[in-house]
Amino acid sequence: MSTTWLPCGDYHQSYREDHAWFQTAFIKGKMFILAVVLLVFVPWLADSYWISVCNQVGYTVLGALGVQLLIGFCGQVTLGHAAFIAVGAYTSTLLILEFPWPRFILDIGLAYPISIGAAAVVAGFWSVLFGLPSARVKGFYLILTTMAAQFITVDFIITQYVSQIGGRGQAFSLPPGTIKIGPWVIDSDIKVYYMMIVLSTLCIMGIANLLRSRAGRAWVAIRDNDISAEVMGINIIKYKLLAFFVAGAIGGVAGAFWISNLAAISPEHFTWFWSLWLVGVILIGGVGSIHGAIFGSIFMVVVMELLQLAVMPLAGEYPKLLMDFLFVKEAAFGLAICIFMIFEPNGLAYRWWQVKNYFNLWPFSY
Amino acid sequence: MKQKQQWFKYVALFFIPALVLGVSAGVFAAEVKIGALNDVTGATSDVGKDYALGIAEAIQYVNDNGGVNGKPIKLYQFDYGYRIPEALTKYKLFKRLGAVAVLGWGTGDTEALSPTITKDKMPYVSASYSAHLTNPKKTPFNLFAATDYSTNARAAITAWFDTRWKKHPDYGKRKPKFVCSYHFAHPYCSAPIKAIKDQAQILGFEIGPDQNVSLVAIDAKSQVLAMKDYGADLVWHGNTTMSVSATVRDAFSLGLKADHIVNCWGFDENLPRLAGKAAEGVMGAPRCAFFGEDVKNMDKVVEYAKKYNPGVPLEKRLTHTVGAWANVMALWEAMNRADKAGDLTGEGILKKGFETLRNYDVGLGVAPLTYTPTDHRISGTVSIYEIKNGKFHVVERVDLKSRWPEKWEKEWLGW
Repeated sequence: MSTTWLPCGDYHQSYREDHAWFQTAFIKGKMFILAVVLLVFVPWLADSYWISVCNQVGYTVLGALGVQLLIGFCGQVTLGHAAFIAVGAYTSTLLILEFPWPRFILDIGLAYPISIGAAAVVAGFWSVLFGLPSARVKGFYLILTTMAAQFITVDFIITQYVSQIGGRGQAFSLPPGTIKIGPWVIDSDIKVYYMMIVLSTLCIMGIANLLRSRAGRAWVAIRDNDISAEVMGINIIKYKLLAFFVAGAIGGVAGAFWISNLAAISPEHFTWFWSLWLVGVILIGGVGSIHGAIFGSIFMVVVMELLQLAVMPLAGEYPKLLMDFLFVKEAAFGLAICIFMIFEPNGLAYRWWQVKNYFNLWPFSY
Repeated sequence: MKQKQQWFKYVALFFIPALVLGVSAGVFAAEVKIGALNDVTGATSDVGKDYALGIAEAIQYVNDNGGVNGKPIKLYQFDYGYRIPEALTKYKLFKRLGAVAVLGWGTGDTEALSPTITKDKMPYVSASYSAHLTNPKKTPFNLFAATDYSTNARAAITAWFDTRWKKHPDYGKRKPKFVCSYHFAHPYCSAPIKAIKDQAQILGFEIGPDQNVSLVAIDAKSQVLAMKDYGADLVWHGNTTMSVSATVRDAFSLGLKADHIVNCWGFDENLPRLAGKAAEGVMGAPRCAFFGEDVKNMDKVVEYAKKYNPGVPLEKRLTHTVGAWANVMALWEAMNRADKAGDLTGEGILKKGFETLRNYDVGLGVAPLTYTPTDHRISGTVSIYEIKNGKFHVVERVDLKSRWPEKWEKEWLGW
């Protein structure tokens, strides 16, 4: 059944209509406005700092989408997602720096786009490897196996071996001009921003489409009750591993995107804390909702930055306030999770749904 | 319901004006703005806290002494917990606030931001003394007022060879066995490994397997046993003090008959306190004087520590405060010169400031500073200390530049 509220007396007459992306002219209008805001107004009005904050939001969204898919839609709790982001970032970096591309590929600026695709595939398969235990274990035990992904991938393989490729110690630095899409050299915050918008949109559309397919329904069934799902004939191992693949692939895209933002990479960029942070993002945003990953990312990045800007005028009187801000941020992170768990366990996405419904049903929104 | 609305009003009354002021913070422009990224909660906070205090105190001193040719410095100092995404957003914030330079912290943030600061032409004076940052062809805007890790490591191993191995009964009979102990995952720890192994080969050492010891390790017995099995004569410790003290203690208790040399962030006043007897004889290259040591300008460091952080007892202060002062003093002089030349911009601070310094003496036990457009290594001379009866004593001043002039000029720059 469609989740869109239609004017009284309007009914869908086919499944095609029922599953359409944008079902009413009003929704199409809203989407158009959103596109104008994101593609025109934000780049026009925001300075370099706010654009970089948006990029940070985009990176968090890309990271959180995979976590949302695993935890929110398939019920497979993960605490090692930073590892898959790292695999994507290193795959992309190594392909750009070390792979012997034919001259014409470099000339037409295809090395980086190809590396994003390759990053998604490699990170997807790497994620499947660590999803294999999900066939036998669940709950806390699965959390531990996903944590193993973090330590084996980042602390061992990437640090010990991958980082050493090219004899450059730990950090890779991408020379200016190497991150290029066609003739478009990604060398400013605004270009990174546009790339982030494109990648985020593609990933969100990809996941949204998957969720309304057979695979999406299987994932939700597994989340709700894996034994019942199996009894209904769903191959739960296949669909769990598919969820790990898709989540890892989106993580890989996030990693490949991240290198364009910094033009440098080291294992320290992908700490276990980042995996934990992404879980916090979806808890606050709302588990089991694509909006949740987006709202959670906005909350965790933008609200924290605003909080920081709000305390800055006090820094003249209390200079230590800025130094202690990370404590405030960490405390706010913990507190926000507690508050949301108690007062709004469905997260910001549910609140958004309520607000939307209020207006959709107005003036009869009781 | 009414009460709820009242609360909302109070919150709005405080936050909205604060937010407006915060968002428009860049418009007040009578000061010279500098950003500082520090780690007081992350993986390197055991040494980062003291460094952060030193930065704040040194900037107070600069402002009390006229700032940059009469313009006071406005410092925006943030803890980033050694998290790279956090460092990136903070750096962008500094740029937005109009900072002309950044006082950075570790190798993690410094190397991650290096391409960005080069593009932005933002001088980044950090406490990452990685030699990778000394080649102006690659990283022109990365600077620091200290000898780099690789130079320190080369000097320390050379001093050990000169002062200890030559007196060893096996000298001339076999090669000394050398092992590196550090946290592989951290760029700070691994930055000088290639250089120290190169130096070990130059001096004719046999190099054993590296030992991975976490920066937050409180136990390193298995690694020490591996060193013992190998029969190490010398161990290089590349971690910070907490982890180094744990390793040195375990080495003492497990009877490892090896000497120890330690990188600057693991060789501070806390090492003998934490490791006790096990720290006796440990050698290191601290890159500047120890807190309270009798050197030029130390009186100011002590005075400002007392004045601005009286809650931290002087006996708890560390050499890292002194290192922070050295960086601030160097940046101050560079900014003064650039300002006098009428070009207080990132490029001006580099070209008309830092790169005009020739044997500039900031005191504090730091080698005189020389930066040239082709070489940002400040000096080839390093003072190597050892711990005797819980105190630090200079054992040798190693001048790498005059001992290996050809290699210094042609081979060792930038790694």
